Amino acid sequence: MATLHLVRQSAFATNDFAQCLSVLEHQDSIVLMDDGCYNLKHALMDSLIKRVDGTVNIHVMTSHAKARAIETITTIKHIEMKDVVELTFNHSKVITWQ
Amino acid sequence: MKTLAVVITTPPYSPLTTTAIAYVEAALVSGIDIIGIFFYQDGVLHANNDIHIASDEYQAIEQWQRLHQEYQLPLHICITAAEKHGIACDSIDNEKVNEAFTVSGLGELVELTTKASRLVQF
Amino acid sequence: MTTIDEKEAISLPQENGLAIINSKAPFSSTHGKDALDIALIFGSFEQNVSLFFQGDGVYQLIAQQDGSLLSVKDYLKTFSAFEFYDIEDIYVCQQSLANRQLGENFHISDVQVLPSIEFGAALNRHQHVLRF
Repeated sequence: MATLHLVRQSAFATNDFAQCLSVLEHQDSIVLMDDGCYNLKHALMDSLIKRVDGTVNIHVMTSHAKARAIETITTIKHIEMKDVVELTFNHSKVITWQ
Repeated sequence: MKTLAVVITTPPYSPLTTTAIAYVEAALVSGIDIIGIFFYQDGVLHANNDIHIASDEYQAIEQWQRLHQEYQLPLHICITAAEKHGIACDSIDNEKVNEAFTVSGLGELVELTTKASRLVQF
Repeated sequence: MTTIDEKEAISLPQENGLAIINSKAPFSSTHGKDALDIALIFGSFEQNVSLFFQGDGVYQLIAQQDGSLLSVKDYLKTFSAFEFYDIEDIYVCQQSLANRQLGENFHISDVQVLPSIEFGAALNRHQHVLRF
């Protein structure tokens, strides 16, 4: 099974997201939450989407993005906290990047 | 068996804690067995009886107390971190420690991680 | 057609133990020491724990440091006790070293410097991950 990555920091402020990306494997999933939602507009996100070509699942917490007036992107799944719980058990482990 | 252990490192006044509590509650509501929450670093402040958050702000400590009561959710604080954060843990009744919380040590973290099928850090 | 043995050989290894990722420099926060305390307790309980150093965390390993000049407890000296606690697997992100123009001059021995893919694969061999 794959790894679930909870990304809670903005790549514009810290290196946490970049470090997450360097250990990402195919079939892993990312949940952007808290300030991690800002990463939707970061260059790293564009290059990630191109690089993984669908083999990494990218999600964003709907309420967290909406609270920050961050626009939706159709390639990214919008989820609720109960979905994060479900993802926790659909993956073999969780790494939090904060 | 879906068992979960959660580590909390953020303090009661941090917005990041709100996310953590939302996750914990969503897990409990969906029937996940959370075998324990371990409070470390600034997270131990949730057990500080002397902390008062303004009434119009998010009451993290009340949320933990509620989850503890409703679900018998074990809340462990690391004793060394607690003392560093001004929560004295040296008396028999430990009146500085919120009664929903248990004063433990890092050994408890070892216990929780060996028993849980998932470990999530906030 | 694969035999039973071949099928077992290509199945994924069991994920085991705790991985602790160190991502912070040693002397401006307590994250390094807080992570070390967890590593040592796991070691003393004879539980598998591996240490990973990434980002500014690689600074914790560099030789010739002297925390005493800062009146900070030099917890880095305790790294020499890893072997005693059976903490044997210590991994460093090669890219993080390169980005900081650091060589492999560490104050402890038996450190494995790995490129990103192998670093991630090593992380993946563990059951739980904490990051400080």
